[in-house]
Amino acid sequence: MIEVRGLRVVLPPATVALYGVDLVVEPGEFVVIIGRSGAGKTTFLRAINRLIEPTAGTVRVAGQAVTGADPSVLRQVRRQIGMIFQQFNLVRRASVLENVLAGRLGYVPEWPSLVGRFPPRDRALARECLAQVGLAEFADRRADTLSGGEQQRVAIARALAQEPRVILADEPTASLDPALAGSIMDILARINRERRLTLVVSQHQLETALEYGTRIVGFRAGHVVFDGAPATVSPAVAQAIYGEEAA
Amino acid sequence: MKRAAWLGGAVLLVAIAWHTDASPARLVRGLPWMGDFVRRMVPPDPAVLPAALKGAVGTIEIALLGTVLAAALAVPLGFLSARNVASPAVYYAVRTALNFFRSIDTLVYALLFVAAVGLGPFPGMLAVIAYTTTSLAKLYSETIEGIDPGPVDAIRATGALRLQVLRFGVLPQVLPLFLSYVLYRFESNVRAATVLGFVGAGGIGLYLQTYLRMIDYRAASTVLLVTVVMVMVVDFASARIRARLV
Repeated sequence: MIEVRGLRVVLPPATVALYGVDLVVEPGEFVVIIGRSGAGKTTFLRAINRLIEPTAGTVRVAGQAVTGADPSVLRQVRRQIGMIFQQFNLVRRASVLENVLAGRLGYVPEWPSLVGRFPPRDRALARECLAQVGLAEFADRRADTLSGGEQQRVAIARALAQEPRVILADEPTASLDPALAGSIMDILARINRERRLTLVVSQHQLETALEYGTRIVGFRAGHVVFDGAPATVSPAVAQAIYGEEAA
Repeated sequence: MKRAAWLGGAVLLVAIAWHTDASPARLVRGLPWMGDFVRRMVPPDPAVLPAALKGAVGTIEIALLGTVLAAALAVPLGFLSARNVASPAVYYAVRTALNFFRSIDTLVYALLFVAAVGLGPFPGMLAVIAYTTTSLAKLYSETIEGIDPGPVDAIRATGALRLQVLRFGVLPQVLPLFLSYVLYRFESNVRAATVLGFVGAGGIGLYLQTYLRMIDYRAASTVLLVTVVMVMVVDFASARIRARLV
């Protein structure tokens, strides 16, 4: 589903964030990426849909080349990749429903969308996605009146509205209380199970990563230093990923 | 070093006072004449009130239509002169052009437009548009540069096209601030439009200038009072609306 070969990212002016990463993610996997902050987790996720432009290497998603794709192809690829962010990244002044509708932007005709007109089918789908994260009755509320956990659920609904084949989530629970963190991860696990969506989630909490992931990938200083089942993450492996201070 | 700078500044100011022939004594000598001037202005002449009100309406019309059109024209210019939206070449070209045109004041534009299209409120409106477009574009672009990049990334990630990213990721963040700046410019433009009549570009200034030339100070004072009330009412109303926006 995702095929990353020799992915190298140099961030301006000259920081090497990723040194030639190779990773193949099969359909339906729930991959959790772990590693210290600055290990390259965020850069890796953002390079997959080219929010960050890779310096070298290739990325393919669902059989389509992402790297080197022209704008119209990139649009088609991106709309199949839902993305969830640590800071939710909702448009705060817009309504909840408008935020979810934004997930349809990769599909709807451009000019009507610019004046806020979306086809009825897309509106219905947005409401359906909102219902799936349990927020149907919040549709007309302004996004910034919701709690952090609710905002992240809206963000998940926005990603679902893309009818994606892949969801990338960058530390989706890092800004939330531990109790809420579990509920967000539960929703992601349900999406993975019920929709057979491929998930790649970065997670700074090792216990959470091991609980939810079907496969764990460890990043350290821009390299993949571990790739295997959660059960194989031994204390020695954890130390190799996190360094000396991890017990 | 610091002392030398202060001393240098003081010397400069004294030199300017000398050069411009600024003297407190002259002001004091002029006081009786100013007193005489004020005495001849009271009581204001109520007979010219309809004319003054007509002028006030004209001034507000110039400011209102001019500001609204400039507010719209400034939107594309604001985006094109925002560092985080436009390409560097476009950014520098538009920003340089804006800086150039913004250094010309509304009244100077009015002189140019009166020469170009003749007397009346229309050149005044064009002058308001010319200055306000450039000053709003600058405020817009600074607002755009200060937005949260997070929602923009999120919209880009959906596969949205360039204009869709601006419409759904950027515009909702900046629109309330834009409106607030537009109202603020409207207030300033009402004030600026009060003097446009001096150069033949319409509005209440025409009446003030006419009565002053006719040495009808009581009529002039009516016009002045109407101007003051008009500006205060517009400022008050606009401030109330702005407070609700942000």
